[in-house]
Amino acid sequence: MPAQRVSKKFKDLSMSFKFNPLSGDLIALNNENAIARAVRNIVSTTPGEKFFDPDFGSSIGEILFENVDEITAISIQDEIRNCLNNYEPRVEIIEVNVKPNYDENQFDVMISYRIVGVDIPASQLEFALLPSR
Amino acid sequence: MSLLNFTSLDFDQIKETLKQYLQSNSNFTDYDFEGSNLSTILDVLAYNTYITSYNANMISNEVFIDSATLRENVVALARNIGYVPRSKKAATVSINFNVEPGITPPPTTVTLKKGPVASTNQFGGQSFTFGVTKDVTKPVIDGVASFLDVNVKEGTVIDQKFPYSTNNINQRFILSNSGIDLDTLEVYVRPSATSSLLSSYTRQDSLFDAVTGSAITGDSLIYYIQEIEDEQYEIIFGDGIFGKALSDGNVVEVSYIKSNGSEANGVSNLSFSGKCTYTRNAVENTVTSGISLVTANTPSSGGDEIESVDSVKKYAPQIYGTQNRALTSNDYEILIPNKIYPETESISVYGGEELVPPQYGKVFISIKPRTGDFVPNAIKENIKRDLRKYSVAGIVPEILDLKYLYLETESKVYYNTSLAPNALMVSSTILNNINKLAASAELNKYGARFKYSKFLKVIDQSHESVTSNVTTVEMRRDLRLAIDQFAEYAIDFGNQFHISSMDGFNIRSSAFKVLDIGREVYLYDIPNTDKKTGSLGLFSLDAPGSTTPIIERQNVGVVNYNTGRMTLNPINIVSGKTKDAQQIMEISVVPESNDVIGLQDLYLQLDTSNVEMVVDEIASGADPSGSTYTVTSSYTDRKIVR
Repeated sequence: MPAQRVSKKFKDLSMSFKFNPLSGDLIALNNENAIARAVRNIVSTTPGEKFFDPDFGSSIGEILFENVDEITAISIQDEIRNCLNNYEPRVEIIEVNVKPNYDENQFDVMISYRIVGVDIPASQLEFALLPSR
Repeated sequence: MSLLNFTSLDFDQIKETLKQYLQSNSNFTDYDFEGSNLSTILDVLAYNTYITSYNANMISNEVFIDSATLRENVVALARNIGYVPRSKKAATVSINFNVEPGITPPPTTVTLKKGPVASTNQFGGQSFTFGVTKDVTKPVIDGVASFLDVNVKEGTVIDQKFPYSTNNINQRFILSNSGIDLDTLEVYVRPSATSSLLSSYTRQDSLFDAVTGSAITGDSLIYYIQEIEDEQYEIIFGDGIFGKALSDGNVVEVSYIKSNGSEANGVSNLSFSGKCTYTRNAVENTVTSGISLVTANTPSSGGDEIESVDSVKKYAPQIYGTQNRALTSNDYEILIPNKIYPETESISVYGGEELVPPQYGKVFISIKPRTGDFVPNAIKENIKRDLRKYSVAGIVPEILDLKYLYLETESKVYYNTSLAPNALMVSSTILNNINKLAASAELNKYGARFKYSKFLKVIDQSHESVTSNVTTVEMRRDLRLAIDQFAEYAIDFGNQFHISSMDGFNIRSSAFKVLDIGREVYLYDIPNTDKKTGSLGLFSLDAPGSTTPIIERQNVGVVNYNTGRMTLNPINIVSGKTKDAQQIMEISVVPESNDVIGLQDLYLQLDTSNVEMVVDEIASGADPSGSTYTVTSSYTDRKIVR
């Protein structure tokens, strides 16, 4: 079993680039928020988008143009699981659940994961996938 | 911590540097994780730095001729020091054909029109067209116009016209094709589009006329040429001070050949595809029948590619260094291949002061042409004439014929039978590799050295079954004989001779006949006690293949073993060995060192290489104790004649 990373604190910039009204600093994302942002970033990056790292990201963008059905949902599920295993060492995936939402023409995604090395309850991330940004 | 290594050309390295910076200067931590926002920002920063570094690197590289890589930049930098790279050269072939118009009364002349003349489609699947850039007119004698020795060049003849207007201040005269043979470029200027006058302009490279040597004036009909982007050329006309300037309304007419270069060398099977005309009652008519088959005197030759970037980078500064004058031997070695005789494959130039005895004020030039072994006499005269442009007082150039120093090797190659399918396959692989070495640039140049250890390595590494080899080396020169006349001969090997025996017969020759001796004779030597010099004599054999010499004459010449020079006193040789329609005498000796050099004007050639396969019984396992092992001598076997 690979050695598990023991993390204490994670701090990332927020892409909103807004100021904290009190301190005047850029708003930062901390710990589980930072990780949740990273997970979403990885899932929504198309391979080839990141400079000099052509494999980074997931091919969900392509899969989203398939029919909205259970089979496509399974493909998305696998893709999310693979890309997070490869590119986000801070999380241990408990479950990835993708459901086709026929009414809204979208897939509802629920990712549940545990943050490695931090003794907090498992996190859950939910978002909808549409073939547009 | 400060930012380090900001000139790196590796994206990952730049990003790593930025991460290291953040590690010690920021309270953000997520830069390590590729999914984080911070990582995306680092990507953008690193990419920006990478592009800037790349651009800075390219700019600084492309500014200097040594480091520039793009052809247009190298050429532009060479242009600054007055160097025009050699253009593509069209292959030329000399053809013959007859035209019998069959018209009564026959016309007085027949004209072969400018443009395509002959073409082929049977050469390597590719079709080539040969043409002329000017009309060729021949008289009709007895009803036949004979077009003999018409030089046609491979490629497409292209005409271009440029109307000149003073309103267009940035007008350029760009020949909009690549692959142009500049030797075929003809430039004419017409005063106006309707005028019938046509002035021919000549190409110049300096401010002095190349033909007359006089200074160029404001009335000289000249143009300059320079290479620009995409292997195209631009014509530059005079400004009214150096060369005549164009005036408003002039029309520049150019004609040139766009060629396929060296691809069209070796073509001889041609069929007529041109146009012949005759004039009757001031009307030009086309000859439609009576054109004979086209025959080529020799296969096409002389086609060459445009000068490579590497060559421009090498020669442009050197040509500039000569400052258009031939003074040192190095100047000749640069000017002749680049400015005078591009067919040069290799050249050696040395001053007369290096000779024994010295000939002061002379410079000796030996040229190995790309095709053939010797430079024809007519071209030698041309080279000498062209050299006058660069000559300085007190130096007389002499062009010498190439002198070949042949090497003959005998190899006994031991091989492991269990690793080779058969001996023939291994020996042919070895011979192939030796032939490749013989044809390589390492040997085929002046001042070349035969590297014995490299040669052994080539054999050893030819096949996995080869376990070792024993190779002996001999040098040979072919002495051209002056038949039926008393002549004194001197021949240099430029390498020390090995004295195998003080009893003589270290030098071997082919058979020849001299006046007053009925039988064929051979040369032999007897070393003096100082082991530096010796005397030469003649002997004959009582029967072919005999090893018992019969001495016919003694002291017919001397040999200097140290310098490798042999001199024969006046002797009347009546016949020798015939080679390439020349009477020669082959003389071979064993060199003192197996590393043989081509000294001064000697041109080294690996001539014959014999390979004999010997079974390595120890390595093959047939006789591990080696009791029946075949031993090979490392010394040349002592034959007394060739």
